[in-house]
Amino acid sequence: MSMHGMRGLSVFISEIRNCQNKEQERLRIDKELGNVRNRFKNEKGLTPYEKKKYVWKMLYIYMLGYDVDFGHMEAVSLISAPKYPEKQVGYIVTSCLLNENHDFLRLAINTVRNDIIGRNETFQCLALTMVGNIGGREFAESLAPDVQKLLLSSSCRPLVRKKAALCLLRLYRKNPDIVNVDGWADRMAQLLDERDLGVLTSSMSLLVALASNNHEVYWSCLPKCVKILERLARNQDVPQEYTYYGIPSPWLQVKTMRALQYFPTIEDPNTRRTLFEVLQRILMGTDVVKNVNKNNASHAVLFEALALVMHLDAEKEMMSQCVALLGKFIAVREPNIRYLGLENMTRMLMVTDVQEIIKRHQAQIITSLKDPDVSIRRRALDLLYGMCDVTNAKDIVEELLQYLSSADFTMREELSLKAAILAEKFAPDLSWYVDVILQLIDKAGDFISDDIWFRVVQFVTNNDDLQPYAAAKVKEYLDKSAVHETMVKVSAYILGEYSHLLARRPGCSPKEIFSLLHEKLPTVSTTTIPILLSAYAKILMHTQPPDQELQSQIWSIFNKYESCIDAEIQQRAVEYLALCQRGAALMDILAEMPKFPERKSSLIKRTEYSEGDTAEQSAIKLRAQQQTSNALVVTDQHPANGATSPVPVGQLSLVKVPSMITTENDTSTDHPLSQQNGALSNVDPQPPSADLLSDILGPLAIEGPPGATVQSEHNAVSGLEGGSDAADGSAIVPVDEQTNTVQPIGNIAERFHALCLKDSGVLYEDPYIQIGIKAEWRGHHGRLVLFLGNKNTAPLVSVQAIILPPAHLKVELSLVPDTIPPRAQVQCPLEVVNLRPSRDMAVLDFSYKFGTNMVNVKLRLPATLNKFLQPIQVPAEEFFSQWRSLSGPPLKLQEVIRGIRPMPLPEMANLLNSFRIMNCPGLDPNPNNLVASTTFYSESRPAMLCLVRIETDPADRTQLRMTLASGDPTLTFELKEFIKEQLISIPTAPRSPAPPAAQPTPQIPPNDPAAILAGLLS
Amino acid sequence: MIKAVMVMNTQGKTRLAKFYEYLPVEKQQELIRGVFAVLCSRAENVSNFIDAESIFGPDSRLVYKHFATLYFVFVFDSSENELAVLDLIQVFVETLDRCFKNVCELDVVFNYSKVHTILDEMIFGGQVVETSSSEIMKAVEEISKLEAASNAITLIPKSASGWRSR
Repeated sequence: MSMHGMRGLSVFISEIRNCQNKEQERLRIDKELGNVRNRFKNEKGLTPYEKKKYVWKMLYIYMLGYDVDFGHMEAVSLISAPKYPEKQVGYIVTSCLLNENHDFLRLAINTVRNDIIGRNETFQCLALTMVGNIGGREFAESLAPDVQKLLLSSSCRPLVRKKAALCLLRLYRKNPDIVNVDGWADRMAQLLDERDLGVLTSSMSLLVALASNNHEVYWSCLPKCVKILERLARNQDVPQEYTYYGIPSPWLQVKTMRALQYFPTIEDPNTRRTLFEVLQRILMGTDVVKNVNKNNASHAVLFEALALVMHLDAEKEMMSQCVALLGKFIAVREPNIRYLGLENMTRMLMVTDVQEIIKRHQAQIITSLKDPDVSIRRRALDLLYGMCDVTNAKDIVEELLQYLSSADFTMREELSLKAAILAEKFAPDLSWYVDVILQLIDKAGDFISDDIWFRVVQFVTNNDDLQPYAAAKVKEYLDKSAVHETMVKVSAYILGEYSHLLARRPGCSPKEIFSLLHEKLPTVSTTTIPILLSAYAKILMHTQPPDQELQSQIWSIFNKYESCIDAEIQQRAVEYLALCQRGAALMDILAEMPKFPERKSSLIKRTEYSEGDTAEQSAIKLRAQQQTSNALVVTDQHPANGATSPVPVGQLSLVKVPSMITTENDTSTDHPLSQQNGALSNVDPQPPSADLLSDILGPLAIEGPPGATVQSEHNAVSGLEGGSDAADGSAIVPVDEQTNTVQPIGNIAERFHALCLKDSGVLYEDPYIQIGIKAEWRGHHGRLVLFLGNKNTAPLVSVQAIILPPAHLKVELSLVPDTIPPRAQVQCPLEVVNLRPSRDMAVLDFSYKFGTNMVNVKLRLPATLNKFLQPIQVPAEEFFSQWRSLSGPPLKLQEVIRGIRPMPLPEMANLLNSFRIMNCPGLDPNPNNLVASTTFYSESRPAMLCLVRIETDPADRTQLRMTLASGDPTLTFELKEFIKEQLISIPTAPRSPAPPAAQPTPQIPPNDPAAILAGLLS
Repeated sequence: MIKAVMVMNTQGKTRLAKFYEYLPVEKQQELIRGVFAVLCSRAENVSNFIDAESIFGPDSRLVYKHFATLYFVFVFDSSENELAVLDLIQVFVETLDRCFKNVCELDVVFNYSKVHTILDEMIFGGQVVETSSSEIMKAVEEISKLEAASNAITLIPKSASGWRSR
């Protein structure tokens, strides 16, 4: 059949076909487009026939992939041609070329509407088709009611009505806000009574669209759907033309079952029974036959029935029947059915209770991993990934590894990612996990993302017993001739950290390890060289006694890279060389990396993010939620303090940056360097938590990267913290060589001072332990509780706590356990009795061992003088009489104090109040003076009243005169000194600049009212 | 919903392309090329499914059927049943065969307007409108008769573009 007499068009197509190459084709097409453009310009002389011919040419050109940016108006204008062929061309081409927002469409709306409401059925069909294909907003606004009328009209032929149904569907889908479907439930139910299967198929699609939006309204359609299904399944009254390979309209059966899946359940028992009978019939009555088309059709119905059974959550018996069927399918010859069998099994994982039955087919599924069809292999991979759990992880992952070497390149990345995730989630033991990842890197290094090797490094770092194993394992891989660069990276990291654990094994001396690594250097890229350099530095550090030859070899390498063009390499070379020459300091800086905080696997996170919402994927997610690993604890617990931001995994570096490389001499050079040293520059100063009590009593916080704390000079106090003024504590006094690797979190001195003012809070914290205190004070008695919290998943051992009490305190500490279990908190009560007034301090000598770290700290206990004070408000009369009776030293002492931190008087009053020395306002008429009182409790004497008077000089706030009186000379002296300390050095604040030395002691003028009062009072 | 119907030959030349959601022509060509790149490497006797999400984005499926020198490709979303769409390809091809008597690639090339007509009788706005090959044929024949009738009458209407002045 020729092109309906369009000879010109046939000739054009032939010419295009005869073009030898793309260039010729383009020339021919450009020529034709020019021709068409010209003809359209002189539209007057154009007959409808010619228009039609040219428009078809344009459509042909468009199909070949050339943009046609003119002639749209001509195409649209053909719509209003009175004769069928031109009109047809206008409609078809318009729906192909124009998008729904095209301006020209608006011009055609009237014509289209006239065609729809007109009497000509052929025109109605053309118009509906175009509107249905484009589905624009303006069409919806002006045509939807007319289309609805056509659908319901009894006088219309099925040919028109089925198109009206789908046209309405399209308009509704695209513009649900415009197309009004209120009250459509009854009409929809009515439409389902239709006998014509063509109209019924379209109506069923419309029901799916409407019910998917709001099924509630369409309940009345549900029994009708079941009835239709029954009619088809029993093959009652199905015309021959709707029987496809002997199966009554498989499309309508499928659509009907699809519609039923939009209703959450079927309540009416009769309807439910009928439906299950039909489903049972479908499940049982479908056989695999020779004819491919018949097979496809019957299985289309069968798979939809399976989906509906799963949706309805049928009885277990029917479910296992479904799994059995699927098990049969995945083994059949027909590849489509194998494919869908695997896909539906994956969907079925969502249904509980069937996993075990699915597992029975594991061998067959693994066979499908070797299917000649890549589509089927993918489905098998998805299913294996979904069905994996602890019981079968080893088998499945090993199969995946085996398959990796033969897998298509397009699948390798996904495959290795999935294998890595499964290995991590379900590892029966950690060494197996390490084996799997190393094999992955070995077999498919190009497809291993950084996340995967970072993760294995995290696990090795966090598990001491894994370290020698991993080191030995990576060494084996390095011994091979060809090694992937990722393997070099991971080996360099692990050998740098842990190769010293192998030192006694043959071939594992530092020198041998070094040369093994160094052999690889010429083969790697610039991103790997820094890791190698770090490993060299670490190996050198671990070589005890030092090996001169190795040292000079490594130094010369650093020397060489000192002038490297790559900034990262250069920086490391320069730094390591400088550090090496520092001798003992190297030990500390290059010490073993601390444990990583536990965090959720970024791999697992990645898959979760990439998973969409489709049913099968959410099944995987669901299972991922249900099944937690039994081997590797993967938590996503956030630090309770909220102060830490997780360190990106990408920032692995071998060098810890402790604060202590700052020494007096070269602060300026080293400090900035150590900050930039990069990787660990996530500063985490851990300020004392706002809510200290909750810190103690709440669950232990998992802190940020231990040791990753780059502390400011002032915070860097570790070890002995005794009575020395912490504020100028740049000195780090390691108790012994091993302890100095653990850094306290937060400032110990600040924590202590805070605890002097309040009764609960954190006394000390480091990456492994948190020591909290809660205290109660009654007169001269104190009861403290020490909370020792292990922050890690490993126990703290050799825990020791000794109190070094001063002479004036009786302190009794209950037994402290030797071991603190992982993540546990131990409470140790501590009884304190105050014997005499003294400013001496009790010290807690605390030590523990974590891994190879021996930590010892000496901490002041906040059992200070003020804790034994009780504020008291003394009436003016009594105050003055007491003040008078305590006349002169040693019971009453006066001192002019300089170097006071300037503060307004009310602040000073508050400060005294916080030490339980109560301000007595109104006693002193001078607004620049302050009078306060308190009582002191001790075992040896009854409660003792203490009176304080402070005179300030508004002209110079850095000095004041303090007078203190009590019935006990020691108490007077001690309390005066205590208050002095508080006024001079207020812990948290920066110290004020010292007053100019030249300033003379102010002479209090004789007419000073304060002086008069002083005279009066004394 | 069916997103696209493509017919291409084993050399990758497009013989029919219909997208039920508007796409610019460059994007259409890119997708067609992407599909062909996968199809041409597939062996015989494998399944009729390929991974469509890497080409068409999430929630897309692809079913194809290979007949002589032509690939028939349907792209759709998860609201359709894969095997039912495969059956639909079969209906489409059977209808073409009825129409052209032993259809071959050349019939599709030179009668692509008729192929469009057949497709429009079968798929409407991305939904299946008719699955019976004989019903489709009836509709197409009606249209052919109309065309023939109007071609026989040589009356040329005065103004086809008169609507614009309205």
